[in-house]
Amino acid sequence: MSTNTLATVLHVDLDAFFVSMELLRQPELYGKPVAVGWSGNRGVISTCTYEARAFGVHSAMPSSQAKRLCPGLIFLEPDFGYYQAASDKFHAILRDFTPVVEPAGADEAYMDVRGSERIHGSPREIAASLRSRIRQEIGITASVGVSVNKLVSKVASDAGKPDGLVVVESGEEAAFLAPRPIRELPGVGPKTSESLARLGVHTIGDLAHMPLGALEARFGRHGAGLRRRALGEFDDPVHSGHGAARSISRETTFDTDEANAARMHAIIWGQAERVAADLARQGRAGRTVTLKLRFPPFETLTRSATPGHGLERSEEIAVAAIALFERAWNANGRRPVRLVGVSVTNLQARGRQLALGEQPGRDELDQGIRELRGRFGEGIIVRGAELPARDSLP
Amino acid sequence: MPIIAHIFSSDRIFSNSMQDFSVALTIRPRDGNCLRAFSLALSRAHALSIITLPGVALSPCPARGERVKVQVLQENLQRGLGIVGRAVATRATLPITANVLLKTDGGRLMLAATDLDISISTWVGARVDEEGATTVPSRLIGDFVAQLPPQPVDLHIPDRGRQVKISCARNESTMSAMDAEDFPRIQEISEGTAITLDAKALRRAIERVEFAAASDDSRPVLTGVQLKTDGQRLTMAAADGFRLAVADITLAKAPEQAIEVIVPARAFRELSRLVADSNEDVEMRVNAQRTQVRFALTDTEMVAQLIQGTFPNYNQLIPSEYNTRATIAVDEFKREVRIAAIFARDGSGIIRLQLQPGEGPTGQLTISARADEVGDNEGKVDVKLEGDPSKIAFNSRYLQDVLGILNGEVALEMTSPSAQGVFRPVGETDYVHVVMPMFVQW
Repeated sequence: MSTNTLATVLHVDLDAFFVSMELLRQPELYGKPVAVGWSGNRGVISTCTYEARAFGVHSAMPSSQAKRLCPGLIFLEPDFGYYQAASDKFHAILRDFTPVVEPAGADEAYMDVRGSERIHGSPREIAASLRSRIRQEIGITASVGVSVNKLVSKVASDAGKPDGLVVVESGEEAAFLAPRPIRELPGVGPKTSESLARLGVHTIGDLAHMPLGALEARFGRHGAGLRRRALGEFDDPVHSGHGAARSISRETTFDTDEANAARMHAIIWGQAERVAADLARQGRAGRTVTLKLRFPPFETLTRSATPGHGLERSEEIAVAAIALFERAWNANGRRPVRLVGVSVTNLQARGRQLALGEQPGRDELDQGIRELRGRFGEGIIVRGAELPARDSLP
Repeated sequence: MPIIAHIFSSDRIFSNSMQDFSVALTIRPRDGNCLRAFSLALSRAHALSIITLPGVALSPCPARGERVKVQVLQENLQRGLGIVGRAVATRATLPITANVLLKTDGGRLMLAATDLDISISTWVGARVDEEGATTVPSRLIGDFVAQLPPQPVDLHIPDRGRQVKISCARNESTMSAMDAEDFPRIQEISEGTAITLDAKALRRAIERVEFAAASDDSRPVLTGVQLKTDGQRLTMAAADGFRLAVADITLAKAPEQAIEVIVPARAFRELSRLVADSNEDVEMRVNAQRTQVRFALTDTEMVAQLIQGTFPNYNQLIPSEYNTRATIAVDEFKREVRIAAIFARDGSGIIRLQLQPGEGPTGQLTISARADEVGDNEGKVDVKLEGDPSKIAFNSRYLQDVLGILNGEVALEMTSPSAQGVFRPVGETDYVHVVMPMFVQW
C-alpha cells in the first residue's frame, strides 16, 4: 500500500445532518438549540444544532443530561426515511466527481480525487464545488477536509466545522495536527486521552514527540501505531465500492468502552439485521461471518466462521456473530470493548436451504420488513432485543 | 545369608490416616535369585531402612523392569492396533486417552482405546508368560509396529514402571508408558436387550443412513442415528435438519424387548469399518440403563455412549402424496449432478432441477447450475414422468450424497418447489430419503 504523496483524499461530512434536515422544513427553529433524539428519560441525543452544542450538549448524550445543561432544548423525533433520501442524494453528488468514494455513514464519506483533476480541477476546487452543490441540491452545509490520507482529512473536516474547508498540503500533516487537542485524533477516546494526559500528553504534537519506549510501556505494541497516527501517517486507502461488493459490514464504536454483554449482543443483532438487508438488496448471500472487536486503544481482533451454507437472514448472521463474540470476548477476559462490528464475506448467489418441516414463510417476513424499512426508514421496525436497556425509546 | 533390600519403584500411596506409604521392594540376594516384588506398608521413619525378611522362598528374578513378557506376531499386533486406533482421542483432554491399553487376558493380548464417547477393544493371539497391563501412546506404537519385520514381537510390561520394552528381531526400543490403572474403564455390557444383525445388511443400512446425521452438535440428538425395533423390523433413521434418511433391516429374530436408542453416527461409521468385509454376525446389546450400547464381533467389540434425548418424529416429514414423480436412471443423474456441482461450487451450491413432459410417458429432467462470475451449465436426462411438470432446487452436496449411495433407478417425488423432495430407490421398499429444497429466485 503506497502512501499517497498528493493531497487528494477528501473527507466530506454533512454538518449536524439530521438536525439540519429538520431545520430545512422547520425554518422557524433556526438559531435555536434543537436536538434530534428521544426526549424520554432514557432517550439519547442523536444530533443537535451548534446553538445546543454551545451549552455542552453533544450527540450520544442522555437526553435527561442534555435537558439539564440546556433547559430550552427543543426535541424532535428522528424521521429516518426523510434523512435517507437526502443521504442517497449526498452520496450521488460525491460520485459525480470520482468513482472512488467510501461511504462512512449516512452523512460522511471519504473520496480520492486523484485522476479527476483534469475534469473537475484541483482537490481544493473539487471540495469547493461539491460543497456548493450539496448546499444547492440538499439545502444544508457540509465540511470538507483535504489531505494525503483519510486520517488527516477527517481531522481537517472536523476542524473546519461547520461549513468549512480545510486543506492540509502534502508534508504539512504533522504540523497541522500538532497544536490540536489529543481528543481530536481519531481512535483516541476518553480512556486513551486520560492515559495520555497522565503521561503529560495534551496535544497531538505532544504525542508525536513522546519517546516510543514510553508509549510502548503504556500501550504495548499499539504505542507505535498511536505515534504514527499523531504524525499523520495512515496507510489505509479509500476503498471504493467498485464492482460487486466483496463484503458487507457494519461496525459501532462506543463512546465509552462497553462491558455489558446484553448491550453488545443487541448491537450485534442490529448490525446483523442491517447487513442482512444489504445482502437482500444485492440479491446475495455470504458464506463467512466475521466479528471484529477492538479493545482500547487499538487492539483489534477478528474472528470468522464459515458454517457451510449461505448466510442471508439476520438471525443466522447474528447467531453466528454472537457465538464468535462470546468466544473472543471470553478469551480476552471480558474486558471493556471499544468497537464491535459484523461483516459477511465470500458473497455468493442467494438461495436459502429450507429446514425439514419448514415453510418458506420466514423469507416472506424478512422481505416484508425490508420493504417497510425501505419506505419508512430503518427505525420503523426494530427487533425487541435491539432496544438497549440504557437508551431505549421512550 | 545376607539379603539386601533394593528400592526399585517407590510409588507412594498415602493412606488417609496413617501417612504411611507402600514401597515396592525387590529383594535381591547375591546369588541372582530374588523375591517377587511385593508391597509393604511402612511408616516414613522406616522408609530407607534395610529390611531383612527371613524365611521367604526365593525365585529366579528377571532383569529390572522386565516383569511381564508377552509375545505376539507383528502382523497381529499391527492389525489390532489398526482396529483400536480409530477410537483413540484426537484432541485428548485426558492425556491417557491418546494411549492404547495393552493387557493380557486369558492367554490373549487385549488392545483397547477410547475417546470416552466410544471405545474399541480387540483381542489378538499371544504367548503370555505373565499377566500384566500398561498403556502406550497409540500413534508411537502404531507407527513403530508398522515398520517392524513380520516376526514375533516381545513386550516387556512392567507392572508399575514408566517404560515398556519392545523387541522384535534385532530391534529393541523402550516407550514411555502410563499406568493401566489410570485408563478409563471400559464398561462390560453383558445384560440388557440384544439383537443379532447380519453384517452385510447392517453395513448397507449404515452406509445409506449415517451420512444424513448432523455434523455440528447444535442439536445433539441429530448427530446420532435412531435405532428402533418393531417386531422383526429394525428401522435406522438420521436427519440433520435439512434431510432425512430412513432404512429398514429385517431381523432374524425379534428382540425380547423393543429397542429405541440413538447411537452416535460416528460410532456407526467406525462400526461399518470394523465389520468391513466380514460376514460374521454382529451382536448389539443395550445396557439396562439405556446409556451404552455394545457391538460385538468375534474378536472385536465396540462400546458407545448412547445419545440421550428425543429423536424428532420424522414420519410426518415423509409425504405420502406427490404431484410429480420422475423415475430416473441413477448413473446418468449422478453424472449430470456432478458436472453441475462444479458450477454450483461458486454459486451457493444451488442445483436446479426442472421436469418437463416429453412424448408419451417420457419426460425430461434439466439439471442446471450457474455461478455469477464463472459461468453456467445445463444437462438433460430422459425420465419417466408422472403428474405435473415441476421444478425444485437442491443443495449440490445433499443431492450428490443421496445419489452416491443409490444404484439402478431412483424415483423423485415432489409436491412443490418449496416442499420436500423424496428419493426412493425403485423396486426397494426398505429405504427412503427426504431432502428439503433451497428457496431460490427462479
